[in-house]
Amino acid sequence: MRENGVMSRRRVGSIFVVAAVALATGFLVAGQVKVQLLTPSNQVARYQALVRSVQELEASNAQSRLKIAVLRSQIDALEAAAAQRSAATQALQSQVADLRLHAGLTPLHGPGVEIDIANGVPGADSGGEVGYLVNFKDVQDLVNLLVANGAEGIAVNGRRITPLSAFSGSGGQVIIDQGPPVSAPIMVLAVGDRLRMEAALGDPSGLPDIRAREVQYQLQISFRGRPDLALPAYDSSLDTRHVGTL
Amino acid sequence: MSARYRNRAGGRVLGVWLIALLVALVATVQIRSQVEVERSFAGTDTASLAFLIDNLHRANDSLQAETADLTQRQLTLQSGSDTAADQVLTDEATRLRAAEGLVPVHGPGVVLVVSAAGLQALDLQDALNNLAVGGAEAMSVNDRRVVLGVPVQQTPGGVTIGGVQVQPPWTISAIGDANRLAQAADLMTQQMRADRRVRQATYRVEADLVIRAIVTERPFVYGS
Repeated sequence: MRENGVMSRRRVGSIFVVAAVALATGFLVAGQVKVQLLTPSNQVARYQALVRSVQELEASNAQSRLKIAVLRSQIDALEAAAAQRSAATQALQSQVADLRLHAGLTPLHGPGVEIDIANGVPGADSGGEVGYLVNFKDVQDLVNLLVANGAEGIAVNGRRITPLSAFSGSGGQVIIDQGPPVSAPIMVLAVGDRLRMEAALGDPSGLPDIRAREVQYQLQISFRGRPDLALPAYDSSLDTRHVGTL
Repeated sequence: MSARYRNRAGGRVLGVWLIALLVALVATVQIRSQVEVERSFAGTDTASLAFLIDNLHRANDSLQAETADLTQRQLTLQSGSDTAADQVLTDEATRLRAAEGLVPVHGPGVVLVVSAAGLQALDLQDALNNLAVGGAEAMSVNDRRVVLGVPVQQTPGGVTIGGVQVQPPWTISAIGDANRLAQAADLMTQQMRADRRVRQATYRVEADLVIRAIVTERPFVYGS
């Protein structure tokens, strides 16, 4: 009887121990689930919210640029109609047309070059560096090279460059003026002195950073002369709100 | 006895199966969750997205201001008066001449002074682009007007702007939103001071900065 009582207490004790261990394990698993599953899912939700914001802003950006293009075309028609009525207005309109052409506000066509630039491959020892990606400085360097060698008009992935254009971005994203980001492959079209531009692009001492990454990361750059290229008009704001003429 | 033993053994097996199922479920959810995170984060990090959002907000504000301005111009032209049309065209010509650097201009802005030895054309191009990103609407370097169409080049004698050499120290004037330009100039001068080639890099904000230098317009030869 006594032995049976001892056995029964032992069994009850061991059941309690197993239950306590099971409870502790349950709490640990629950804690782990909370930390390891819920946090990433919150991160995903936050990330997705950011992506949605970018998409909405990009849609609004595209709509605004389309509206600007339509308004500019309607204004052109109204100015042309006004110019029919007066010689003074016609002279003014001609001046403005020339200024718009130089500012990139009207389409441009002529001989030129097409440059294609694409991402390379990440190096084995790149250690998180993004040298294999085409970045905004590559586009900036390319545009500056073309400007210095006879380009009269330039467009990057269909976005026209103006006298006030600026390039920014992070990683492989390239932001030009008020447009949405673009990324490689990037096509640059330049109308102007085709032979000079081709010679500059073929010069191994030009674009030193791109050349170095061509070797290190197999960044790809190629160009070819074209007899007739068409560039679109600039479709954003040429902001001069803070500038007054003397 | 053997029936009780079989029942107990069956119960244990069932328990083991249940635990295995639970572990498999947790592991699957965990792995799927991590894969989803990795897939979402592929390409762009949250800091870059935040930068993009900020940039797009500012861009969209600018585009809306331009849309409002164009709508106003359209309404003026629709009034049908020749005087109104002449005024719209005159204002547009003035605005474009300022943007293209064809006329002297003034306005709020910043002046950076960079004293350095060994800086290259690429350094100056970067500085000018940083200011353009910071909202510069007109710029000059050592009294040479700079817009994107003016070549900034490296020659054996140093850096040239439009074919004319600009010796350091460089005095870079930029007109635009003074607050944004000051932020850009502050960051730029900090970075420049960390460059061993730079002896001194300072900036000041001016309420009414004057840029008298102009660009001579080159007629297009190839494009039409």
